[in-house]
Amino acid sequence: MSGFLGQINPGLLLILVGFAGCLIPVQRVRQALMVATPVVAIILLALAERATDLAVVPVLGFDMILYRVDSLSFIFALAFLIASFLNAIYALHTDDRLQDGMALAYAGAAVAATLAGDLMTLFIFWEITAVSSVFLILRAGTKAAYQAAMRYLGVQIFSGVLLLDGLAYVYKSTGALSLDAFTSFDQPGAKFVFAAFAIKAAFPFLHNWLQDAYPKATVVGAVVLSAFTTKLAVYAFARMFPGFEILIWIGAIMTVFPVFFAVIENDLRKVLSYSLNNQLGFMICAIGIGTPLAINGAAAHAFAHIIYKGLLFMSMGAVLYRVGTAKASELGGLYKSMPWTTIFCIIGAVSISAFPLFSGFVAKSMTMSAVAYEGYVIVWAMLLFASAGVLEHSGIKIPYFTFFGHDSGIRVKEAPFNMLLAMGMAAFICIAIGLPTIGGFGYGWLYNMLPCTVTAPADVCLMSGDEIKPYKPYTADHILTQMQLLMFAVLAFILLKRFGLYPPERPGTILDTDWVYRRPGYNAVMWAGRVWAKAGPAMTSVFAGIGARTFEKIETTFSPRGALARGPLTVSMAMWSAVLLGIVMLVVLLAT
Amino acid sequence: MIRPPERDASGRFVKPEEDMPIPNDDDMHPMSKVLFGWVSSPRTPLALLILVILISIGLVLFDFGLDRHEKVEMANANGFYALWGFGAFALAVLSGWPLGKLLRRDEDYYGEAETTPNDVERDA
Repeated sequence: MSGFLGQINPGLLLILVGFAGCLIPVQRVRQALMVATPVVAIILLALAERATDLAVVPVLGFDMILYRVDSLSFIFALAFLIASFLNAIYALHTDDRLQDGMALAYAGAAVAATLAGDLMTLFIFWEITAVSSVFLILRAGTKAAYQAAMRYLGVQIFSGVLLLDGLAYVYKSTGALSLDAFTSFDQPGAKFVFAAFAIKAAFPFLHNWLQDAYPKATVVGAVVLSAFTTKLAVYAFARMFPGFEILIWIGAIMTVFPVFFAVIENDLRKVLSYSLNNQLGFMICAIGIGTPLAINGAAAHAFAHIIYKGLLFMSMGAVLYRVGTAKASELGGLYKSMPWTTIFCIIGAVSISAFPLFSGFVAKSMTMSAVAYEGYVIVWAMLLFASAGVLEHSGIKIPYFTFFGHDSGIRVKEAPFNMLLAMGMAAFICIAIGLPTIGGFGYGWLYNMLPCTVTAPADVCLMSGDEIKPYKPYTADHILTQMQLLMFAVLAFILLKRFGLYPPERPGTILDTDWVYRRPGYNAVMWAGRVWAKAGPAMTSVFAGIGARTFEKIETTFSPRGALARGPLTVSMAMWSAVLLGIVMLVVLLAT
Repeated sequence: MIRPPERDASGRFVKPEEDMPIPNDDDMHPMSKVLFGWVSSPRTPLALLILVILISIGLVLFDFGLDRHEKVEMANANGFYALWGFGAFALAVLSGWPLGKLLRRDEDYYGEAETTPNDVERDA
């Protein structure tokens, strides 16, 4: 029985139930399915045999490997399924068929893409994530959300097109569509595949879709969106580009630049989106390092991040749901009416800040150590700066300006029970995987699932050739240095606030690099449109005039009423014979 | 359009008075009183500052008694992480002043100021 169940792709199950859910009008039945399906999927994933092609379908002359689990894909798929379960609980207060169904289908597509065994299968589910997720933005129902959704869809589809280009090159050069890691950018298709992944991973200058779309999604939609697309890209990089040095520097830049935007951003869901970018930087940097410790760091960070980032989006979603805004300038003092949400938000905040005893600490320590071991001092310093930056925007700014700070006088009800339940479960996981290993709990549970273990190394770990050693996060060195970094950053915050040096939260739009295509680019296109609107008819009349005159000339020459038709038939025949003879003679003369 | 910001006596930005609901703790959540009753005490900010300073000093003192072996040479200096944390945080926050002036525009700059989604509570 377990053999048969172990061959059912959990991602496909989620997609099918998700699409079916869009057609089920009875709220409780639909939502029971949305909650139960990820649980069943987790059981199916646990039953699956590792490193075996479990579902192979011949299509157009090659085999599509729909289901393959190894130690790298397992941890990402498990994190996606847990997130999907929590998201379904978080959405129980709503009655939105399309949102419920598409949220599950989106999660399923991410899981199925993670469990894909070849590039074509990855591409198909890659595209399904794009198409299904856009509904989570559209359902917000505002004009701004619609416009952001269209931009989002365009970018995501473009990523898919690049991936398709890349896989075509790979297939042409190798005759197969293997997911084996590239070793150089000179390999056919490598640059296209890299670019496709880079868009979804929100690399610098390709990141705007994230900060544009996520804050405009529905309350539930932003929580769902935060979990899947970007981490799928992280998985794809870990699978196909481990040890590419350029990723180290790109990742380091990704950790630093969002810090500055997050400081001045007023919309707290947008602050979380910048924070998401910063966290992705740590993972990308680790993948660039490429040692077993670094790959483990990226996987552990992705797992922990999916949960605590979801928790932070959930808490801001709860505030938005009750208050109607998530703008820091309008919030404050909400601990008086939303104490449980406050507690859960603080747990998410200390987790992402990597305080000892919380999940971020045991995950991020590995990446920091791996970077230091490989001697990248500048990168290490950048990541250390970004660690203080994370504390600023996600550790302090989010909870402080929402729940504490100046009392806005807003009094609302506590978040709905289902939201609190989902946040409570996420908070529990943040603590459970962050503790020292005690009685089945603690970081040991997470570390046992990491891809690079002595007993079951993933392909990407074997490539590096480095020895795989157990990692211990709870050493006196680690705890002391991390606490120094964080406590002195907290001290800086208190002093800056006390002396009035902390910039005030003010409403406004913060310009980012998307300004280039949203203002000058948009204006250039509009200008070209206006020019065409005026020049088009004029040019059309010019072309029409030239065409008409040409036709008239031809007609006056060759038509039955034309010049050549005048006189007896023999006249024109004699003239044409002379012309043709002349041409033939000229050709012969030139040829000889 | 952004209204011109108002400042209090210390130069900090404040919201216009007519926009501010009057704080009232009568309808405070009972669990809030249990968990966060200490927050609204006037002594809390100073107590918190003293507590953080004491912890910070303790962490630096502890550093002197610990023989750390960092892979990055400069990190072996006592109090390195403390300085880095303080400096990085201050740099990030203080950069907000010039960056805010440089990059902040009206909320409807892109012509789409309203972003409250439809699935918020009706009476929110």
